[in-house]
Amino acid sequence: MVGGVKDWFGLVARLATGGVWIAAGALKLPHPADSVRAVRAYDLLPEAIVPTVGHLLPVVEIVIGLCLVLGVLVRGASVVSALLFLAFIIGISSAWARGLSIECGCFGGGGEIPDAAAAYPGEIVRDVGLLALSLWLVVRPASRLALDNVLFRTAHDPSTDPTTDHITDHEGRCLDGAEEELAQDR
Amino acid sequence: MAQKKSSHRTADEKAAAAAKREARRARTERSRAEAEERRKKAKRKEQLTRFGLIGAVLLLVVGGYFLITNLGSDKPDTAPAGASGDYGMVVGDADAPKSIVIYEDFLCPFCGQLEQTVGDQLDAAVEAGEVNVEYRPLPFLERISDYSPEAANAFAVVLDESGPEVAKAFHDLLFDNQPSEQGPFPSKDDLVDLAVEAGATEADVRPGIEDMTFEGWVNAAGDAASKAGVNSTPTVFVDGEKVEGQTMAEIAEAMVGTGS
Repeated sequence: MVGGVKDWFGLVARLATGGVWIAAGALKLPHPADSVRAVRAYDLLPEAIVPTVGHLLPVVEIVIGLCLVLGVLVRGASVVSALLFLAFIIGISSAWARGLSIECGCFGGGGEIPDAAAAYPGEIVRDVGLLALSLWLVVRPASRLALDNVLFRTAHDPSTDPTTDHITDHEGRCLDGAEEELAQDR
Repeated sequence: MAQKKSSHRTADEKAAAAAKREARRARTERSRAEAEERRKKAKRKEQLTRFGLIGAVLLLVVGGYFLITNLGSDKPDTAPAGASGDYGMVVGDADAPKSIVIYEDFLCPFCGQLEQTVGDQLDAAVEAGEVNVEYRPLPFLERISDYSPEAANAFAVVLDESGPEVAKAFHDLLFDNQPSEQGPFPSKDDLVDLAVEAGATEADVRPGIEDMTFEGWVNAAGDAASKAGVNSTPTVFVDGEKVEGQTMAEIAEAMVGTGS
């Protein structure tokens, strides 16, 4: 029962993190140059790799997002997802600490430049939450409605996987039967 | 316990029980081995599936990367005639005692406000030979709308075709007629109309505005600004010093103020 609830939570974690990655990647994809500039703005990476990272980032984001939403290679995708969120948290924190205003100071209609730094705490909280969900999936990748459940039946612990619980329990029952027999012998 | 119980049985019974036990054990052993074999086979198959999936994911990433790197503008970054070497247009006396550089985006509302606030004073100062100003338009808000790069390109086209004076008038008109960041955004036709209003000949500027002739130059301007550490618009430099003011009044003071 507890395993079932956890599986549903796994699904929620997958959809939340995966959805965020797909949205983030899709926003950047049409504007690669803009993505490169955004990476450069953090002023953390050497210029030699900035364009590569800027171009690679939206692609990786979308692929990881798709893996998580579909439930393919959940553990591997979650490891990458967690590392990316960690990198973003470090990037935003360091930009905040250095007093950089990364976002364009244009969005407010008021007379003063809206303080881009004001958005940093919220962004960090959001990313920490998503990092936590990613880590959950790294530790416990089993979840409902994941393609992995169909592709990798034996890899799952039957007690936590509802699909193997009743249908593919054949081997497990064999072992149980043998143990019963042995027990009767003693 | 079992020991004590079996002591009542005969030797034959004991042997039969032992044989039965042995057979049962062998059967168990066998079914266990078979299960193990099945499990191993399934494992191997799944391992293959896993490697296949990992390969597919890597292929997707690499393919997407090459696609996106070739997605960028293939237009050369040829500069419009009359442009400065730094992706801008300089107005005013080159030997003026004060030099101002403005990085701006025609869509950025705060750039528009800055223009409203200091535009006239700046023009007067340029007229009087006190300052020269370099306007560097950027496609900074291309994420929000294509209007941003389209307007910057139109500016370059007008500069190229009709010269700096018309381009400056066009620049001012773009800010006077600035759309909201929420849209609706002016079309390329609207840009042509504004260019004509600024004094350009429609036949000269329409093709360049419609074909994004200076898209490469506009993108290069964005990259150059990014490399110069300009991450927001407007960013103003006075005599090479970045104006760090946080309010409109502070920036305006640094640009046209009479104080220190």
